[in-house]
Amino acid sequence: MLEIIFLIPFVAALAVFFLPATAGRVLLVLTGIIHLLMTIMVWTIRPEAIFPDYFALSAAGLLSLIVISLLFFLISVYTAEYLKQSHIRQENIFTGSMLLFLSTMTMVTISDHIMVMWIAIEATTLTSAPLIFTHKTSTALEATWKYVLICSVGIAMALLGSVLITLAMDVGHVKTAVSFSALTEAAKQLDPTWLKAGFVFIFVGYGTKMGLAPMHTWLPDAHSEAPSPASALLSGVLLNCAYLGIFKTNKIMVAAGLGDFSGTILMVFGLMSILAAATFIIKQTEYKRMLAYSSIENMGIIAFGTGIGGIGAYGAILCLIHHSLIKSSLFLTSGNIHSGYHSWFIDKIGQLPARMPKTFVAFFAGFAAIAGFPPFGLFIGELLIIVGAFRAGHYTMAAIFMLSLCFIFAGLSNQVFKMSFGDVSEDITSPTPEKACLVWPQYALLLTSLALCVWMPDILYQTIMAAAAAMGGGF
Amino acid sequence: MIHPVDILLILVLLSVLFAFASSRLPVLIRILAFQGVVVSIVPFFLEHEMTAGGIIFTTATLTIRGIIIPWSFYSMIKKMGIKREVETIVSYNASVFASLLLIVAAPMLSHKFNMISFSGGTLITSTAITLVVAGMFLLMARRNAIAMVLGYIMMENGIYLIGTALSSGAQHIVEFGILLDVLAGVMIMAIMLQSIKQKYDNLDTAQLSKLKE
Repeated sequence: MLEIIFLIPFVAALAVFFLPATAGRVLLVLTGIIHLLMTIMVWTIRPEAIFPDYFALSAAGLLSLIVISLLFFLISVYTAEYLKQSHIRQENIFTGSMLLFLSTMTMVTISDHIMVMWIAIEATTLTSAPLIFTHKTSTALEATWKYVLICSVGIAMALLGSVLITLAMDVGHVKTAVSFSALTEAAKQLDPTWLKAGFVFIFVGYGTKMGLAPMHTWLPDAHSEAPSPASALLSGVLLNCAYLGIFKTNKIMVAAGLGDFSGTILMVFGLMSILAAATFIIKQTEYKRMLAYSSIENMGIIAFGTGIGGIGAYGAILCLIHHSLIKSSLFLTSGNIHSGYHSWFIDKIGQLPARMPKTFVAFFAGFAAIAGFPPFGLFIGELLIIVGAFRAGHYTMAAIFMLSLCFIFAGLSNQVFKMSFGDVSEDITSPTPEKACLVWPQYALLLTSLALCVWMPDILYQTIMAAAAAMGGGF
Repeated sequence: MIHPVDILLILVLLSVLFAFASSRLPVLIRILAFQGVVVSIVPFFLEHEMTAGGIIFTTATLTIRGIIIPWSFYSMIKKMGIKREVETIVSYNASVFASLLLIVAAPMLSHKFNMISFSGGTLITSTAITLVVAGMFLLMARRNAIAMVLGYIMMENGIYLIGTALSSGAQHIVEFGILLDVLAGVMIMAIMLQSIKQKYDNLDTAQLSKLKE
């Protein structure tokens, strides 16, 4: 009965297309609640799939699922209020696409068949395209065009890679289901040459979707042009879904004894993404694009950690969870800032504590968290990755990693301090009113991230360990 | 003895040359329709016994790749009144030369990786490689948005051809899902094309360069 979890949002989406806009908002939040409850149920009773060839639960999938579900619920609360204030034409298409997007992302987390995974990831591209195009401006058009074309072509490469993996099965005379779990078990018998080729294509394909440099060019455009709740979903969970595809393929590689090959690719592209993000963050003039580049940085960190394996893989999964929580809160907050100042430019923003005190708290705490200040989870994750890199003997890479993180920290804090305490040309009369529903979802996200550093439920810890174990994780 | 599939595939290889030489979009669309039809009927020649599911799936592929997608693009350019694409990055002569090189290189490549043995000695793998690379070339060498989408479709056709040739006993339900995704993707691209046309009155993607860094 596992499949129900992605069918419910699908049905809700179809209903939203025919309902009036206000009913659509209610249904959006309601689906968010139901989805969260069902996810908790999936975590506790672990139901079997009706089609076990195509769908199955995995530790990494479960982690992505709970992150998606929690984020979607909080973002849906924000969206319901956001939609009242912003005048989006054809609101049904927006809410319907949000729900379809949720449905396809849920499908990614539970798919086990290689091709079904591909179908689901390609479907996330298609269902999120209308979200980016919401404002229908010429820049939104450009961003959507780039997004659809670059990601479709990239993901076509992943399809080719998936075909090559089935070829590796045929050459190695492996007769199992074409699923990630079965292939991981039979990994030793797969033909190594075709498996490597398959991994490279899948990595390029899903890496495009994940936003790894140099295939990242669509990401800042799409994230900055989409409405803020949609950007929060894109950055918070869509990138994770693409990462899941790479993670599961890497698992097969590690099981086949080709972990060095795939690990090196992951580390090199991870570092490239971090370096690319560092150069663009420092000279960025728009704050939403700055956040988008920070997502590229974090995806680079996660890829780097996964490539190192061992304790680094554990750190990467921690980073994955905390990045989703923190970055989605920051994107939501950026929507608040825009509604207060009507500008996306950093130098147009200033005196944030006086004008929008509640938003300022969310924004500044989010910045501290994303920059990797100690009480937040990204700090622990990044520290573990550095320790893992030193243990594995990658001294040069670890040095480059730390240096670029310092640059990004400097760049980010420079911009954020300018936005928070800098002068703004127009006079500050009184604080801009801030609706509670537009602030507390961000607080909830940040508090969850903070709480997970202090106390992690045992079931969550076990699942993270199980996911990292596939990469030789653990302490 | 020439395998009957090879005759069709040689025609597909020739059609790539035509596609690269032509500046007329209707020609390009017809070529894609032809390629779509050929890649969909290849399984008929390869498998000795077709299951009912196999026949249904092949017909569905044929309808979507060979008829629905090309037809919708054809009617779209008719409605828009666009016949020629004028915006290229690589000139047509250079494109034809590149495609000739590609057609020579693809069999060498598939020979080097010993892919010939998987396709029963036919030209399938080299044709598929040619289609994938040619599609990517169109994507990069043309600035006209329709030509770029058509390049994407050509690439998809090539990947489909590799899939049918290489993976034995694929599940049709899964392949059907892939087909639906491709169809939906192409339809969304078509909607984007119409929006670009509405906004700028032509389809030159060089105009889409406001967003930087």
